Amino acid sequence: MTQHDSTEHREMLSNSVTDFARGVDLARVRKLRESRTECDRAVWKQMADLGWLGVLAPEQYGGMGLKLADMAIVAQGLARALVPEPLTAVAVLATRVLADSTNESLKAKLLEALISGDLLPATAWQEEAGTLDVHKINMQATPFEGGFRVNGSKRFVVGASHADGYIVSANSAAGMQLLWIPQDAAGAATQFDALADGRLSGTLNLSNVSVAKENIINSGAAAAGSLARAIDHTAVVASAELCGIMGRSLEITLEYLKTRVQFGKPIGSFQALQHRAVDLYIQQELSGAVLADCLAVLDNEPDDKTRSAAASRAKARCTDAALLITRQSIQMHGAIGFTEDCDVGLYVKRAMTLAAWLGNGNAHRRRYAKTEILEGAN
Amino acid sequence: MSAAIDFNAMDDETFRAEARSFFESEYPAELRFMAGRLSWAESKPWWMKLSKKGWLAPNWPVEHGGMGLDPGKLIIYWEETERAGIGRMPDQGVTMVGPTLIRFGNDAQRAKYLPKILAGENVWCQGYSEPNAGSDLASLRTEAVLDGDEYVINGSKIWTSMAHHATNIYVLVRTDKSVKQQRGISFLLVDMKTPGITFRTIRNIAGHEEFCQVFFDNVRTHKDNLVGKLNEGWTIAKGLLTFERLNIGSPRRPLQAFEQLDTLAHARKLFDDAGFVDRYTQLKMDLNDLGSLYQRYVEKVRRGEALGPDISMLKVFAMDTYQKLAELLLESGAEYGAFAEGVKLEGEAVDLMTPFYTSRPGTIYGGSNEIQRNILSKYVLQLPAA
Repeated sequence: MTQHDSTEHREMLSNSVTDFARGVDLARVRKLRESRTECDRAVWKQMADLGWLGVLAPEQYGGMGLKLADMAIVAQGLARALVPEPLTAVAVLATRVLADSTNESLKAKLLEALISGDLLPATAWQEEAGTLDVHKINMQATPFEGGFRVNGSKRFVVGASHADGYIVSANSAAGMQLLWIPQDAAGAATQFDALADGRLSGTLNLSNVSVAKENIINSGAAAAGSLARAIDHTAVVASAELCGIMGRSLEITLEYLKTRVQFGKPIGSFQALQHRAVDLYIQQELSGAVLADCLAVLDNEPDDKTRSAAASRAKARCTDAALLITRQSIQMHGAIGFTEDCDVGLYVKRAMTLAAWLGNGNAHRRRYAKTEILEGAN
Repeated sequence: MSAAIDFNAMDDETFRAEARSFFESEYPAELRFMAGRLSWAESKPWWMKLSKKGWLAPNWPVEHGGMGLDPGKLIIYWEETERAGIGRMPDQGVTMVGPTLIRFGNDAQRAKYLPKILAGENVWCQGYSEPNAGSDLASLRTEAVLDGDEYVINGSKIWTSMAHHATNIYVLVRTDKSVKQQRGISFLLVDMKTPGITFRTIRNIAGHEEFCQVFFDNVRTHKDNLVGKLNEGWTIAKGLLTFERLNIGSPRRPLQAFEQLDTLAHARKLFDDAGFVDRYTQLKMDLNDLGSLYQRYVEKVRRGEALGPDISMLKVFAMDTYQKLAELLLESGAEYGAFAEGVKLEGEAVDLMTPFYTSRPGTIYGGSNEIQRNILSKYVLQLPAA
């Protein structure tokens, strides 16, 4: 793609996201805690029609075949408006895994339906908290009638509440298997835990679920490699979401500092608050600079170690900055900031949910330390 | 002189390679990575070597004897200077006086002063701060009154780096007390040998004598030494600061402290200490992130865009990170963290104290970090005035 095309695409995406975000009603987000409708399929279809579900997907399946940096624009813009639909989990995580599939007919079928919005796949890879290691799983796939029989339990599945099927990782004698399991498969059951922002964390229990050979997405080292790469890519796009969250939260707060009057002056004239606002702004700008650098690194398809280090840099910085900025947004609003009616609370809660997903700041610093510092040290 | 070479036409890597090989082969080994600034005596041979090659003033246009580097090449020049550990010379003539005279001075002033800077005959120092005008620089009270063809200066300047090595000083003086502070300031050039000038050196916390207080007692300078128009000194002084902040915000100096930390960590086997690893990792990542932020401004400069007041954030984050690194270095030295001089650990030389002393004033000079935050608050976030 030429530079000109890429700039044009980016502008188009950015405009469509801005238009869409303008129409978002935060009342729906505020009610998520009760309604538990983190995904509105009508909204989802609209997002598909705008092309967002296919930003990364290869063109031959109806996608746009664009870069992670393009996807980040969409994710960041929608996060600013607190759109709850699981765009990043589907359009990055599931899409990357499916696009790497060697099972051509399954890949074509699933990707085309994903891009059109007709099929919402949830990626169920994780089993224990606090790890990014795709191998730390106990899900078992035993050979059965040419395919597999699968047993085990997955946790922290994003987008599971409205999923039409699951991409599941499992161990087999022949290494890792990535399997497609429809939502209504016999032996598959889900349960949900509410997250801070009203979205839902899924648990997927599989008991003797049969998976036909036709539903094997990927196998062995290729499966594990593909999943690890998809997770890193998703972590960076989640970082873009965190940038959207912190950006809007700071905007709201700066507006408040300029208008709220105490002691006969706007509170933004007080140096204690000015300097704090500046420190938040610096963290926001730093996050933006780091995100841009890391997107460029990942879009260059480097080796695994470089890729993971960059993903960890982005997720650690953006997570910490978003948590700091949104929490300080409450503080700078005073008591009103702690009310249900005040929008900053919604940003705090989304920041916490995104922070915990795919490794928080601490988890990413530890991973970074492991490969970038401790290997070969001493 | 190699003034005919168009450095800007070179590709970046060729220019970088040339700068690197020149600095590495010609700069005296014993003056690399010095704890403090270089004295004029230490500087002079290198100054003259640079001058002879035409490389002394990378930031000046070619017609004035500079290299005429565009911003992208200038950054490479700085990077290679720091990489080679080249000491800070009494360089105010090159960094401040030259650019000021080129932009705001007149032909006579340029003809009189620029060649002497290049020839190493004039060594300049900067007279900005006063005992009662530090962060609040615009409140300065050193006064100049026109008497015939001469300005008569009375007052005192402080934190004047290397004044004891300087032959000339440029000063901000009050020339109108009846208007808003910033509008009554002028920019004057003064010969340090003028009767009425005295100075005392001030020993800094590291034990080095780098700055001075300079006293003006009826010091006379010819009115031809007024740079720019009368009462427009504030604009001149502010004009050159943003580009300087890009230089101060470079991750190179914090990186040098980080290298010391690395050496220490290996020597003391600190990577087995989870508490240390946590903080080391955080700072290494901060340093990388500083690199991303710095690079963003470098790209901006390369594209020919002007740097705005938001550049202040780079100085704030760079200097905060630098100090945190220096502090971790001392703490990780355990008992050695109190040693005044460098130590040898497992055969490796580590200087724990120097980064502490060099990082400390970074949050104070060139506008303290608090002043930078005021600037960001006012001009970038546009928060209301107090």
